[in-house]
Amino acid sequence: MSDGPLTWRSGGCHCGAVRFEAALPARVEAQSCNCSMCAKTGFVHIIVPESRFRITRGAERLAEYTFNTGVAKHLFCPACGVKGFYRPRSNPDGWSVNARCLDTTEGLELVVEAFDGQNWEANAHSLSHLSKEPA
Amino acid sequence: MTRRLHGACHCGAIRVMMECSTTPEKLQLRACQCGFCRRHGGLLTSDPDGQLHIEGTPGSIHRYRFGQMQADYIFCNECGAYIGAVADTDVGTIGFVNVRGVDFDAFHDRVGEKMNFEGETIAERQARRKARWSPAVLVELRQN
Repeated sequence: MSDGPLTWRSGGCHCGAVRFEAALPARVEAQSCNCSMCAKTGFVHIIVPESRFRITRGAERLAEYTFNTGVAKHLFCPACGVKGFYRPRSNPDGWSVNARCLDTTEGLELVVEAFDGQNWEANAHSLSHLSKEPA
Repeated sequence: MTRRLHGACHCGAIRVMMECSTTPEKLQLRACQCGFCRRHGGLLTSDPDGQLHIEGTPGSIHRYRFGQMQADYIFCNECGAYIGAVADTDVGTIGFVNVRGVDFDAFHDRVGEKMNFEGETIAERQARRKARWSPAVLVELRQN
């Protein structure tokens, strides 16, 4: 994640049952992952520390899907299926927000990089700093 | 030339078979810009001269309607993958598939054409869908 002042940006699923906010700088690095899960959901990852994310509606309604190690908690709205955020296995101390689910990306410079999640074990360490709380 | 494509959601509860009347490279790939498809990253295809078969295990198929409420958008209750949509019309059931949600290999290197269907009347939308979507069958298996 890049430095600079943070702005709380809102987002949500399609039907409105689930809403969230994430504090993001004006320039954000995001990852597009090619693993079997991300390929099927088209998730564009903005990984943030715990303190920079909050669920503002529908936390109790979220559907959860796990597979393989079970560490990642894949969450989606049970009414419209949209996955706006989840607990990633690479950063279980933080959150990954789906850039596609932000209400607006106006004033946000989104730099999307490819992440090779098909070789997850070899590459996951490159993401771990993204969820570290500022000292 | 007929060609069959096979895919499934992440957990495997919903499987899709698409019969194409031509090679998949010749089928239109649509990056629909509606609020639903944008959030799901939908990349959609269909073939009016082909056939679409969607089959789910008991309880796996979730139908979601929005906007003009004329089609059922399908996602997997278990893993959340967006599969596609079906609509009942006077020419039978028609539908499309989200190639991303079922991971059709044949479309891997393609970029979707951005589409915006806002402002269509119900009649215009139905006519477009009948001209472009595949004849479709949606089956949810029963618990024995």
